[in-house]
Amino acid sequence: MKRYWIVTGSITYALRGRDILRRAGFKASVERLTAQLGYVGCGYTIVLSGDIRQAEAVLKDAGVKILKIQEAD
Amino acid sequence: MIYLDNAATTGQKPQLVQKAVLNALRENAANPGRSGHQLSMKSAILVYKCREKLAEFFGASAPEHVVFTQNCTQSINCVLKGVLSPGDHVIVSSLEHNAVMRPLETLCRNREITYDMAEVIFDDLDATYRSFERLLRPETKMIFCMHASNVTGHVLPIAQIGELCRKKGIVFGVDAAQSAGMLPISMEKMKIDYLCIAPHKGLYAPMGIGVLIAEKPIPKTILEGGTGTDSVNFAQPNLLPEQLESGTVNLPGIAGVSAGIDFVSQKGIDAIYRHETALLEQFYDGLLEIPGVRLYTARPQMGRFAPVLSFNLRDDESMLVGQYLDRLGVAVRAGLHCAPAAHQRLGTIDVGTVRVCPSVFTNREEIDRVLFYLKKY
Repeated sequence: MKRYWIVTGSITYALRGRDILRRAGFKASVERLTAQLGYVGCGYTIVLSGDIRQAEAVLKDAGVKILKIQEAD
Repeated sequence: MIYLDNAATTGQKPQLVQKAVLNALRENAANPGRSGHQLSMKSAILVYKCREKLAEFFGASAPEHVVFTQNCTQSINCVLKGVLSPGDHVIVSSLEHNAVMRPLETLCRNREITYDMAEVIFDDLDATYRSFERLLRPETKMIFCMHASNVTGHVLPIAQIGELCRKKGIVFGVDAAQSAGMLPISMEKMKIDYLCIAPHKGLYAPMGIGVLIAEKPIPKTILEGGTGTDSVNFAQPNLLPEQLESGTVNLPGIAGVSAGIDFVSQKGIDAIYRHETALLEQFYDGLLEIPGVRLYTARPQMGRFAPVLSFNLRDDESMLVGQYLDRLGVAVRAGLHCAPAAHQRLGTIDVGTVRVCPSVFTNREEIDRVLFYLKKY
């Protein structure tokens, strides 16, 4: 199963997004952003295993602001 | 001590809250949302869970709309200074606390805004509503008012005013310092855009933590700095809640708020309100038997009053009665309660009032004891 980074604007959105995805049956966790994603400094990302299009739709429906999506592996 | 100054802050914090604060210091003492290590993440989750609880408790649409501040006054400043622009007109009530009046007056003296005060007609919610309605102007941007008076306990017709604001396209802010945790509040049902809360009162949390729930954007900030987001950028992020939370948040305080909501939820907000109103009814009836007592409201009534009661004895300065009770081990608040507008309305600006506010921990025997002391004054 493919893994993705879903970059949100803040730890609050990352945690909210994680909980929403988990409730929708996805495997999701939150990690600190790394330079690999093109970000330096503070920031958090959701790590998702599963269908990214479905996950993105679920998050957008819930009003979670997404800054960037990138394949992790 | 008999503590009846719970409108200033609940003097007795529940065990649940005490343990949560201590636990946050012992087990969760990392900076939330910053460092990214396990302990920091644990702290961040604690903060986030508290946002979730507050959003649910106050009928807000999302946890990211819950902002932690230093206190309710800061929450109010964030709204008034963050939302209003030059040329805007604001309507407030005639009973407002200085937490509202001082930032508003500052904006007014800087010639940025104008404001009017809507007369609160005691015991007539419809007439009070019409007072607000009459003051509307084309340039009215916001109605900002208290949910309940911190001097008399009078509840304002918040749901009606919210409906009016929605109909007219005006933003609606509420100072719930004296009602949150005591009276039911639903931001969705009452159409409140900005709710300002003092959790150290009705939610039994520690002091030093405030809450603002913002259902609409706040374009301007009153404090800028590190937020744990978008660190590479010098510009202040515009995403709530971090936009308004520059600097490290008060984690032990937030843990206390979280436990306070659990405490109030377990006891039941209606049960607490019933208990406190019953105590004030008892107190009110007892005061009526004391010669020379001055009361400023009708008998406390569920739905019409927050559990706060003001009185005076004869024409004495309220402070004298407060000091007398203090010597006997009774804590009340005497004076103007930072709400001179309310005292102008009551005609007590020169003497203030003695204010009594029970909590969930107050009992009937304590009320009887205070009445006994007052009879001997």
